[in-house]
Amino acid sequence: MLHNNKKSISSSIFKIINILFMIILILITVLPILNTFTLSFSTDIDSMVPGVKIWPSRFSTEGYNTLFQQVKILRPFLNNIIVTVCGTILHVGLCSLTGYALSKKMAGKKIIMGFILITMMIPLQNIMIPLYILYKNLHLIDKLITIIISGIVSGYSIVLLKNFFESIPESIGEAAYIDGASQLKMFIRIYLPLAKPGIATVALFQFVGRWNHFMEAVLFINDPKKYTLQIALKGLVIDSDASSSATIITKNTQMAGVMIAIIPLLILYPFLQKYFISGLMVGSTKG
Amino acid sequence: MLKLLSKNKGIYILILPALIYFAVFSYFPIVNGFIMSLQHYSIGGEHTFAGLAHYREILTDIDFWRAFRNTLQIGGGNLIVGFIMQVLLALLLNEITHKRFKKLTQTIIYTPNLFSWVAIGGIWISLLAPDTGMVNEIIKWFGMKPINFMTNVKIIQPVFIFLNTWKSAGYGCIIFLAAITGIDKNLYEAAAIDGASRFKQTLYITIPGLYSTMKVVFMLNLISVLRMFSQSYVLTNYAVIDKTQVAMTYTYSMGIENFRMDYGSAIAFIMLLFTSVFVLIYQMFVRKKEVD
Repeated sequence: MLHNNKKSISSSIFKIINILFMIILILITVLPILNTFTLSFSTDIDSMVPGVKIWPSRFSTEGYNTLFQQVKILRPFLNNIIVTVCGTILHVGLCSLTGYALSKKMAGKKIIMGFILITMMIPLQNIMIPLYILYKNLHLIDKLITIIISGIVSGYSIVLLKNFFESIPESIGEAAYIDGASQLKMFIRIYLPLAKPGIATVALFQFVGRWNHFMEAVLFINDPKKYTLQIALKGLVIDSDASSSATIITKNTQMAGVMIAIIPLLILYPFLQKYFISGLMVGSTKG
Repeated sequence: MLKLLSKNKGIYILILPALIYFAVFSYFPIVNGFIMSLQHYSIGGEHTFAGLAHYREILTDIDFWRAFRNTLQIGGGNLIVGFIMQVLLALLLNEITHKRFKKLTQTIIYTPNLFSWVAIGGIWISLLAPDTGMVNEIIKWFGMKPINFMTNVKIIQPVFIFLNTWKSAGYGCIIFLAAITGIDKNLYEAAAIDGASRFKQTLYITIPGLYSTMKVVFMLNLISVLRMFSQSYVLTNYAVIDKTQVAMTYTYSMGIENFRMDYGSAIAFIMLLFTSVFVLIYQMFVRKKEVD
């Protein structure tokens, strides 16, 4: 009896410590974001005064005004929307076509799969120089389309979607095939709607990845008119801190920049959650 | 075979765009990169054969080896601290019986993984700023001197590792939590009947049950730390560049900024080689463990 009591006391102590630990972790995650939010909605002067800030003392949109009027973030912001939306749609379209085709019986499938899987071991980082030269020769430097093309198909998405299409029973397709539907028609009318969860997973991952794309822009975009959001923001929130620029950028403007980069993702997050786990699981078992 | 080919002609057409993309934007550049690394290359000029000259130069390039050491230090830290946090978090979260609190915690700690390195850099450079940052305000409460985190060569690498863990802990935690739900429930019941405590159950059932997931996640993390680019490129500054430049940012600065494309390609290739060696050693180690 005594032994049992001891056990339950130590287990309650563990539970309390565990919950405290989680609360600390939550604070370490939430406070930085809350601080960014607060600074972004502070006045120019308030944002430069030191202090522990987790709620704006005087609500102000001065930072956002400077961001859009003087820093002119709208162009990079719109560029980012263009490359993210176009890139995601094209990526999902092309990868589901490929994944669908590879889920069917065909000659030489193993070789084709090998050809695709090997590309997963050739990351952008290791081919940045020859890729830069290739895009230069194709006159694709300083073009938004280059950011869209970059990674327009990926082995990871193809494998994930192929697995999804494989889980759809063969008999569904056969009936349509006998009715004389072409491969493309069958794909659009029958298979695509059935693979919705897989497509949503790929689309959401792509959206986040493309919204945050950075290295591609560092490599292939030099023209400030073609800047996408992350590159423009790096100049604003990271470089302008050290270098002395002509106009003084206050902290509220910098944090407003961070906010417009993370808000679209935070809005999307509730929808993401449902599909993220399945996507992550595929990544960790197939990778 | 031919019959299958002709019956499914339509299907090959569907695959063609992807295959062309990979051929042009993956295979062609990597072959071209290797050829360049063996040449004296100049844009628009003559390319002459250089043999292994660039590779020989790498051997004695102090800057490369410093970048390589930084890759191992920051990457190793990211890998080990990050991995331990991911597993530990999953195990601890799994012990929380209050479903909604568990879900809430999981949701919140995953959030930073959605952010780009530029956003994370912006958030934390502001927080860690010596004059106005919130962290230093708190440090001052305790009567200590403010620390200039981002420009101190002694602590910049731990700061890098902390930020990477802040970004990635939730991501790995979700994977491991999902893997935990896949472990056979009967094992726990049997252990409970035998009088095993929760701690012992975790030690002897949950952790072994996660081995296969751990192996894959660790390898993916290993590959990604060796490719590290954005974190270093975004968070670095002149004061600490000797501690923060990694192999891939060095490749960029050599190949693109200094127009030494041939030499940069050689570095990129060496790094690909190192990555393969690391992965092979890791897999041999894992397999040997399995045999034991």
